[in-house]
Amino acid sequence: MTIGLEHYLTVAAALFVIGIFGIFLNRKNVIIILMSLELMLLSVNINMVAFSSFLGDLTGQVFTLFILTVAAAEAAIGLAILVCFFRNRGTVDVEAVDNLKG
Amino acid sequence: MIGADLAILTPEIVLSLFAMAGLMAAVYTSKDGLAPALTWGTALLFVIMAFYIGITGEGSRTAFDGMFVEDSFSRFAKVTILLSAAAILAISQDYMSKAGLLRFEFPMLIVLAVVGMMLMVSAGDMLALYMGLELQSLALYVVASLRRDSVRSTEAGLKYFVLGALSSGLLLYGVSLTYGYTGTTQFAGIIAASGGEMSLGLLFGLVFILAGMAFKVSAAPFHMWTPDVYEGSPTPVTALFATAPKVAAMALFARVVHDAFGGVVGDWQQVVAFLSVISMFLGAIAAIGQTDIKRLMAYSSISHMGFALMGLAAGTAVGVEAMLIYMAIYVAMNIGTFAFILTMERDGRHVTDISSLGAFASKEPGKAMAILVLMFSLAGVPPLLGFFGKYAVLTAAVDAEMIWLAVAGVIASVIGAFYYIRIVYLMYFGEERKGLDGRMGLATYVGLIAMALVIGLGWVPGINLFGIEGPAEIAAAMLTR
Amino acid sequence: MSVADFTFYLFALSLITGGLFTVVSKNPVHSVLWLILSFLSAAGLFVLLGAEFVAMLLVIVYVGAVAVLFLFVVMMLDVDFAELKAEMAKYVPLGGLIGVVLIMQLTLAYGVWDTAEGVELSTVPVGTPEGAGAHNTEALGLVLYDQYFLLFQVAGLILLVAMVGAIVLTLRHRVDVKRQNPVAQMMRDPAKAMELKDVKPGQGL
Repeated sequence: MTIGLEHYLTVAAALFVIGIFGIFLNRKNVIIILMSLELMLLSVNINMVAFSSFLGDLTGQVFTLFILTVAAAEAAIGLAILVCFFRNRGTVDVEAVDNLKG
Repeated sequence: MIGADLAILTPEIVLSLFAMAGLMAAVYTSKDGLAPALTWGTALLFVIMAFYIGITGEGSRTAFDGMFVEDSFSRFAKVTILLSAAAILAISQDYMSKAGLLRFEFPMLIVLAVVGMMLMVSAGDMLALYMGLELQSLALYVVASLRRDSVRSTEAGLKYFVLGALSSGLLLYGVSLTYGYTGTTQFAGIIAASGGEMSLGLLFGLVFILAGMAFKVSAAPFHMWTPDVYEGSPTPVTALFATAPKVAAMALFARVVHDAFGGVVGDWQQVVAFLSVISMFLGAIAAIGQTDIKRLMAYSSISHMGFALMGLAAGTAVGVEAMLIYMAIYVAMNIGTFAFILTMERDGRHVTDISSLGAFASKEPGKAMAILVLMFSLAGVPPLLGFFGKYAVLTAAVDAEMIWLAVAGVIASVIGAFYYIRIVYLMYFGEERKGLDGRMGLATYVGLIAMALVIGLGWVPGINLFGIEGPAEIAAAMLTR
Repeated sequence: MSVADFTFYLFALSLITGGLFTVVSKNPVHSVLWLILSFLSAAGLFVLLGAEFVAMLLVIVYVGAVAVLFLFVVMMLDVDFAELKAEMAKYVPLGGLIGVVLIMQLTLAYGVWDTAEGVELSTVPVGTPEGAGAHNTEALGLVLYDQYFLLFQVAGLILLVAMVGAIVLTLRHRVDVKRQNPVAQMMRDPAKAMELKDVKPGQGL
């Protein structure tokens, strides 16, 4: 069986689920949550590139290019907010915080 | 070719250049000393741009191969966004300087966020939608944690960031599925390919996209970030969150479901109706026990988003028109209410607990009257404007033969009226305590009174909702054609 | 099994392993390293798909900048991770349930994958469509600066926001730190920098 589109989509879906799973698993550790978000975006990128390649259309690759740019900006801002939070709290545990109860 | 494209984007380009020039000017001169001037300049520019868009815009034009759509729908949303952002900047100036938050980056980040919102509502392509959405979101994550020495503000920023990024991820996954199914990211291409029978893959894409957007408009069950972020952020930022981004997100929601998925109304209608019912009830019931007015406004906004979504759930031009009218009225009510919340002070400190409103009416009858008008309007008491907004969406739901939705709306509205009226009760008949003693700056006072007048007198026959019905109708017709 | 198939399974396996260990490993530094492995494997998959430019971008931007940024923050913040990990077991059932449900749904969706009428899927990855440009990078460049010019500019604005945001949130001007002042250094007049004193023997100044 040759490697077709569905193989790539399955890999991407598995990675997406791992990303969501990671967010729920590490509810206390924001750094890992940020990494899980990166994994989710990576899975979207795999989807996009796979579709782009099998459809013979460049839009998906351009989309990936922009997702990469935005993800880099997002990581920078997320980590900046995290550093601020850590300076105030001395922890990266979001659950221990009772100031705002949701 | 490119010159004509750029001409269509004039307001966005002017605002972006202004942001860059403002940042440079402030960095090379007196830094934060320039902040008041920049804030007022930004507010003024927003108003000028709103008039420019309102007056010069005509017909429907597209730029950059359909990437950017300039039509009557986007103009309506843009004018609302610009005017509300300008009003929020004007009323928060006093608070910002008192709280020592008057930093020059604040107005500039707002300008960039507004540019993002304008791109969102004008998007004609999933890629443009995503970029606009992210430009807006990233700027708002930063302003939420603007008070960086405060645990609450940074925590609000962090929560907003994590859940916002998660929702972007869901949205993107949906976009990737849509792209795979239809082979294009342009709305025009998607609507052409998705007509008729919807495949399971595309349906999944649609569901992920709807979930991502429900996060952005803070509709239940994707609302959990809202109360925390509203409470933790600096109050002017909360006021902003309650107005301009909500309009942008709702307009985006309408554009995606109609422009890209307009051929399969039945597939998303039920989902939107479900989001609407849950939001209305959750917002109304959860708000009852709140003691903090910012949290209360958060639940209030969830409930109002439920009503606005009801208009969308109708899936008709009348429904979109009702949604636009609802959002415009909602924004006006929120500007007035937040103008008051911004000046809630005791012994020089900003307080947000509702009990401090006790017997406020005996000290400041004028302001109390204004709050009374706003609260009754939020509750939907006739003949105030809030009632007309609710009436419009309920009529749209009934017209679309969604009677159960309209009935649910009426019940939720009655439950929700309770906590607004409780505030009024506290002000007039509440126990006298060490109450509020803050002074109101001129701009804030004007904001409060003007909005109360707008809300209180908008129904008078000669004024007739300030004529927003006409543009809203044209805008809705454009979108659902 | 051809070489290409073998390569696909190799990269796919290391991608999934990397992702899984990113979220479950005990030490965040290990997490970042696993994340880097995932990115590198994804870049390998992109090359297999014929998208060389995006693959290289992933290596340069992600591994080179973003992952290193993560590593930097993990090292900079002195966090007691042992304590944070203690309660992880509590969330495994919930997270696992959500994961299983999602993966079942997605399998369902992909099991019946078909495209809309008029949309052709090729059986082999094309990467760069014919006539788009001589190679992947050129083809991307041609559309990026033409059709996607507007979004290219918006990406610039997004990066500006990221830069301003990071500065607003984390830059602190500490008063007790000595700073370099390049202008003062350049304007320094050698003639005035040093004063020559004629010290007589046995007298001092």
